[in-house]
This record gives sequence, structure tokens and C-alpha cells, in this order.
Amino acid sequence: MQQMKVEDKEKEKKPKFQMNDHIDILIEVLKRLDGPSLGVAACVCRLWCTLTRSDSLWEHLCFRHVSSPPPSSVRPVVVALGGYKRLYMVCVRPVLSRLRNSNSELVWTRDEVQLSLSLFCVDYYERRLGGGATSASSLMFLCNPVNV
Amino acid sequence: MSPYDSATSAGSSSGSSYASSSTTKPADIDGLLAGAGYKVRSSDLRHVAQRLERLETAMVNSPVELSQLASSDTVHYNPSDIASWVDSLLSEFNHTPSLPSDLPDLPDIVVGPGINPTVKIEGDATWMDHDAPHQQQQQQQQNVQSLTIPPNQLTVVAMEEDSGIRLVHLLMTCAESMQRGEFSLAGSLIEDMQSLLRRVNTTCGIGKVAGYFIDALSRRIFTPQASGLFGGSVSGSASAYENELLYHHFYEACPYLKFAHFTANQAILEAFDGHDCVHVIDFNLMHGLQWPALIQALALRPGGPPLLRLTGIGPPSPDGRDSLREIGLRLAELARSVNVRFAFRGVEAQRLEDVKPWMLQVNSKEAVAVNSILQLHRLLGSDPNRSPPIEIVLGWIRQLNPKIMTVIEHEANHNQPGFMDRFTESLYYYSTMFDSLEACTLQPEKALAEIYIQREICNVVSCEGSARFERHEPLAKWKSRLGQAGFRPLHLGSNAFKQASMLLTLFSAEGYCVEENEGCLTLGWHSRPLISASAWQAAPDANSPLGIVNHHHNNHNAL
Repeated sequence: MQQMKVEDKEKEKKPKFQMNDHIDILIEVLKRLDGPSLGVAACVCRLWCTLTRSDSLWEHLCFRHVSSPPPSSVRPVVVALGGYKRLYMVCVRPVLSRLRNSNSELVWTRDEVQLSLSLFCVDYYERRLGGGATSASSLMFLCNPVNV
Repeated sequence: MSPYDSATSAGSSSGSSYASSSTTKPADIDGLLAGAGYKVRSSDLRHVAQRLERLETAMVNSPVELSQLASSDTVHYNPSDIASWVDSLLSEFNHTPSLPSDLPDLPDIVVGPGINPTVKIEGDATWMDHDAPHQQQQQQQQNVQSLTIPPNQLTVVAMEEDSGIRLVHLLMTCAESMQRGEFSLAGSLIEDMQSLLRRVNTTCGIGKVAGYFIDALSRRIFTPQASGLFGGSVSGSASAYENELLYHHFYEACPYLKFAHFTANQAILEAFDGHDCVHVIDFNLMHGLQWPALIQALALRPGGPPLLRLTGIGPPSPDGRDSLREIGLRLAELARSVNVRFAFRGVEAQRLEDVKPWMLQVNSKEAVAVNSILQLHRLLGSDPNRSPPIEIVLGWIRQLNPKIMTVIEHEANHNQPGFMDRFTESLYYYSTMFDSLEACTLQPEKALAEIYIQREICNVVSCEGSARFERHEPLAKWKSRLGQAGFRPLHLGSNAFKQASMLLTLFSAEGYCVEENEGCLTLGWHSRPLISASAWQAAPDANSPLGIVNHHHNNHNAL
């Protein structure tokens, strides 16, 4: 009698739908998150951590608010310079927060995209210049001391 | 920088009229100011300073009255007696109101009560009480909105502001005495200033700037031959490595160089539109910080990237390191990652005038861009025996027929023949620049950027002849010079302006301003432009029948 009650209870407790079994839906959900939430999502479990590392999610995040999608030539450039996640962390997030003091949900212009990409490129170059004359980053002016 | 401003207004108006008092002075006249030519009793100092502050506030608040003051027939008192001079000016401000035209029944100028020219101030209480009700009464009668300082808000001028004003006075006096050749007087003034510096806060503001200028002046007097070493040719005792390091930190600490790079890149990008073979000539490569952004922009331009050749000019590096080549390799690596065909060439030259056009190996099929960031002014020093280097260099640039030449220069007039004029100009210019640097909080970038600026100051102030290469000239002069050399201006488009404005918004410091001036952009601090960017193209040759400038074909490969 007791065993049957436990089994019933276990059957009732078992959910009918496991998010982690439907990765495509999971990705669709993650695509709509903002940056900090993506960071939090990465801490949920190993699967989510792996998924949020995928650069395509961050690409989506970077260009979500651009009025027209960027040309296809942008992706290899960004990947070569360090990837979309880094682009977001180092350039897009500070640029957007500085340029839009109040509202972070506005569309950002092609000029702002261009400027972010240029600054990202300078950052890449300075990291490659590396241990030579200087290790300073010209993008430090974008970031507050307490960062990322 | 208000203590400085009031001091210059006082100092410049008294420039030629004071006589240095070399006779015996009465004991109660302040010694330091007497050395500067002003007679003030030591007991009166604080009150005179207060009145100077009020005068400055009055001048700032009512520029219209200032011009009326200048054009009216009032008698100007001898400024060497500061107390009476400032009193007379203040009384004139009180009594020459700028009246609105729809109140015709009020008198234009009220003849004020005569103020006793020799003010004997016994105590501050009596002084303030005497003036205040009188002043307020006048204001109510005449409906003037300028002087509305209630007397209880007049602050006692701190010892420090007093010293700041004195420092500037002493600097001016010292520079003037140097111009006249009175080196012993100048030397003693420098000692006075150095002792005064100990009582002033030298970590910011006027104290810091004054410290650098005092240092430069003392180098000028005491070590004229050695000053050539410090501020001398780029790799005299200052190695190319140090220069690059300081330049990089100046790039980080403030936006002037970033503005220069981004604006020039935008202009070059637009000029290269439609060309498949492009060649950029950089007059001062340093770490090549300008070029990654251009390479990336070319990679993403619609239609794909062109073949990019970059020729970087730089000083020879000591101890065998080929720094130009190393930078070239880094840039090539970047270009390879973003799939831009790239070729680099380094040209080592101690001075820009040593570069000959055949070293650049320009071929006729490529579009050429010449990029000069703070370099052309170095060519302005002229030797009477040779033709001026600037003309030689501009001549061969024009022969290359570049698609665009980007010229970025300091917006300052530091190449005047008179030492005093240069000194005054540079004091104002570098004070503004140090002001803007206060906003930077990154260390060690800020400290090294200050050293970079200090080197410029030393060169402007303490060097002469061929050792002085920081010969800054304002944009207007460059425009006429380049026009005469056969160039015509290209307007920097609205994209460049937008980009510059966006770049500045990213800096947390409010106070930078970008302005557009007939197709040229200037970046400044609080409405004082400090750096200007312009673009040029070879004007069609008037002599040639087709109006085409001859291309310079060069087939020389050997060095």
C-alpha cells in the first residue's frame, strides 16, 4: 500500500515537459534575453552554460536593436577580432549605455555600429601589441572601474 | 582658471606702461609685486585681491559694459597703483550701465561720486559697509542686472588664489624681462616663483601649469645649450621608444589623438571609395594605432576591401630593433585576420624633410592618401641658407597628386617671432589643455600624458632656432599656406562630424566640444579649440593645359 502511494506521488511530481529536452526552444528563449540575464543563465546548469557560450546568441544580442541587419561580411570580421561575446562586453554594452542615458531599448544607428566595430578593432590590435611598449587599453575610457 | 583670467586682464593692460621700480622702495610696499611693477601696500593686499575678484566677476557678467568701457572717454588710471586702478574700474562698472532702448528717460551715464584715488583701507568691515548700500542704491535706480553681488557673499580670497595670481604675474614679468635680455632679473624672478610654488597646490590647476612653465623658463636661462637635448630632435637624448610610450599614453588619456585618427580615417575612407589599389603614407607611424580602424572599415566596405599599402615613416630606432617593421607585422596580422590584402613598408628618417619621394615607391595606378598628424609644423623652422623645408615637402606631396591629404595640427599660435607673444599664447593654450586633462582618472596614463605635454611646453618656451620644432600655427595660417602651395580644401563630411561627436559622448568628461568650421573640424575644451583637422587635395595645375598635375614616376629601388 505504501509503495503504491509513493509511486503515485512520484508520477504526479514528474513534470510533463522538460525544457532541457527541447534545445531549440531553449535557444529561442535565450535569444530574447538581455546581456545580464544571459550571464545569469550561464550559471544555471552545464547545458545552459554551453549554450550561452555560443557566439550566435551574442551576435543576436549585439544587433538586435539595429534597424537593418548588418551585412554578412561583418561576421567573419567580428569573429576574427575576438567574437561577439567580447564585442558585446567590451564595446556594445558600454557604448549603448553611454550613448543612451535613459532608455536602453532604442534602436541604434548604423553609425554607432560602425564606431563600436572600430573601437573593437583597436582593442584587438592593442591586445596583440601586448607586452611591448604598453598594456593599456584605449577602451578603458568606455568602462567604469567596476566592470564585467 | 579664474585667478589666471583676472590676472591676464590686469597684466596685459599694464604691459607696456609699468616701469620696474629699481629705486629704493618704502618698507611697506609688497616686495614681490613691486618686482612685477605694481605698488601695493602689504597691508592692502587682501583687500586689493578682493576687489580684483569683484572686478573680474563684473567683467564676466557684463561683457557689453566692457566694450563701452573701452570706447568711452574715461581716464585710465596708472595700473601700477593697483588699489586705485581697480577702484576706478569698479566704479566705472557701477556707473556705466547698458540700458535697454525702450527706457529713454533714464540717463545714459550717471556721473558717479568721485572715489578717493588713494584708498586707505583700515578694516574690511568699514570698506564693505561703505560700498554696499551705495552700490545697491545705484542698481535699483538704473535697473542694471550686472553687479548683483551682495556684500556678505564676497569671499575672502584665500592665500592660494593670491599666490596663483602672483605666479602668473611673475611668469609674465619674467618672460618679458627675458625678451628684453635682462637675464639677472629673470633669474631672480625664477627663484621667487619657485619659492612661491611651495605655497601653492601644484597637483592641479594653475600651480601645476605654472610649475611646468617655470621649469621651461629656467631651462631657457640656465641651460640654453642643454635645453636642446631635452626638447631637441626627437631622438637626441629622448629615445624613440620613450616618445612612442608617451605618445601612446597621451592617446589614452585624452581624446585629441583619437579624434584625429577617427576623423582622418573617415576622410580617407570616403576618398578611397571605388578604388581597388590604395596607398596610405603615414608621416609618423608610432605604434600604428590609427590603422586598425581603417583596415576594419575597408574590410567591411560594400564591394569588398581594396589592396591596401601602408608606408610608415618614423625615426630610426637605436640598438638595432626595427620597430617600424614590428608594427608593420602586427598590422599585417590584423589585416590578414580580416581578409584585407595588405603590404607594409617602413621608411626610417630622422626628420620629415629627409624623406624623398622615391623612398615611398608610389605607383601611378593607386590612390594615395597622405596622413600628417602633428607633423607639418615641425618643418616650419627655416634656415636662411636653404629653402624652407615645408615648401620642399609640400612640393613633393603635391607632385604625388594624392587623392587626399589629411592634416591635423594644434590650434595654437606658437610660432610668432616675439618670445613674449609665444609665451603668453602657450600659457593660455596649455592651461586649457591641462584643464581638460583633469577629467582623466586613468593612471599612469595621465601622468605620462602630462610629461608628453610638458615636453612640448619645454620646446616652445626654452628652445630656439633649429632645436625648436614645436612651431604650432593656427588653422587659418595653414589654410593660406596650403592654398599657396597648390592645394585646395576638401570638406570633411557630416559623417566625420557625427562620428567625432559620438566619440566625445563616450568620454565621461563634459566640456569637450567639436566644431565645424568651413569643412574643417576642431576639437576643443570649453569653446577653446585645441586641435584642428582638415583635408586637402592637389589643386589643378594652372600652367598645364589639361589642368593635370604631373605624376611623379619613380623607379628607384636602391636606398
